[in-house]
Amino acid sequence: MMEKLAINEHGPQHKQAFDEPLWWSLFSAGGVCFAVILPAVILFIAICLPLGLLPAGALSYERASNLLFSVPGFLFVGAVVCLPLFHAAHRLRHGLFDISVGNDILNKKLMYGAAALLSVLALGLVVAGMLR
Amino acid sequence: MSTEQITTKSVSTNNTSIKHISVKRYLPDSSAEAYWQQYEMPVDDSTSLLDALNHIKEQLDSTLSYRWSCRMAICGSCGVMVNGIPKLGCKTFLRDYEGEIRIEPLSHFPVQRDLVVDMEIFLEHLAAVKPYLIDDNPVKPYDPKAPETYQQTPEQLARYKQFANCINCGLCYSACPQFGLNPEFLGPAALTLAHRYNLDSRDHGKKQRMTELNRHEGVWSCTFVGFCSQVCPKHVDPAAAVNQGKVEAAKHTLIALFKG
Repeated sequence: MMEKLAINEHGPQHKQAFDEPLWWSLFSAGGVCFAVILPAVILFIAICLPLGLLPAGALSYERASNLLFSVPGFLFVGAVVCLPLFHAAHRLRHGLFDISVGNDILNKKLMYGAAALLSVLALGLVVAGMLR
Repeated sequence: MSTEQITTKSVSTNNTSIKHISVKRYLPDSSAEAYWQQYEMPVDDSTSLLDALNHIKEQLDSTLSYRWSCRMAICGSCGVMVNGIPKLGCKTFLRDYEGEIRIEPLSHFPVQRDLVVDMEIFLEHLAAVKPYLIDDNPVKPYDPKAPETYQQTPEQLARYKQFANCINCGLCYSACPQFGLNPEFLGPAALTLAHRYNLDSRDHGKKQRMTELNRHEGVWSCTFVGFCSQVCPKHVDPAAAVNQGKVEAAKHTLIALFKG
């Protein structure tokens, strides 16, 4: 038993999961955004706006692009696009493990990679708009 | 509370009826295949599942194997699956079940015989997290002439008390889908006991335990299904402990990063 423990202390089984706290933090933050901010965004942009319940010109092209291509706009995209993407990626990765599809190391790269790529794209668009 | 339950549910020994219990039998000496066997017996409102198993063993079929000891939900030996849900036999009453009752050995553990499972892997995980007080730097060296006891305030006790009620019955391991997928996962009870000692003001072993908790097979394999907390017969709430453990593991990683 002691021998076995001694091997474990230095063996691959004792490898620390330094990446997991990062994915879990992004997942948690994304969960909060999903629950708190996204319903409000859907209410305003997807329900009130098409029904004409917002004041005229509240989200006109001029006003909307000014709001989006700014530092608050950058934070807004981070909260409603990027963090929820990582939340979804984390769930998909664990869901795939649960139904025994693929292997976890590859799934991790695919899921978090896709979330990172789409996040960079979304934030890049905002930055490009700010620099125009 | 117990008197209330008795009066409202009017439990008595008069309500006798005949019930059928199906037990999943596995006798490796005679057959490599498990099979179902049905038993019929008289029960009343006070008959626990453990009473029923004892009745089978003593009156109907002495070949049945199962574990039990205290019959009062403190030894944690009599865990079985009742209609697919992990339960303690002594804390489960047949009056709560209509129709057929199906008894199986605890899920996710290798079956040795009938309802007896091999819990070795659980005990290994338990040992790995060092579930005992570790005090590397006692405040004072031990003096046999004037021995000093550890002092703890009620507030310090309250921090970990709930997590200290674990009786190592293993029901949470049978409930955990992640342990079912990967038996290397330390699992609910071991992670909860690690958290219990990490929260104890007398303990200084957190650093040693965090290297176990912060593995992929440590807290990070948990997906917060929460069924462990539902089946726990002692209301320990392992799901809460494991997820508080994730916060601790994240802090541990941050500190390790800054210290290099």
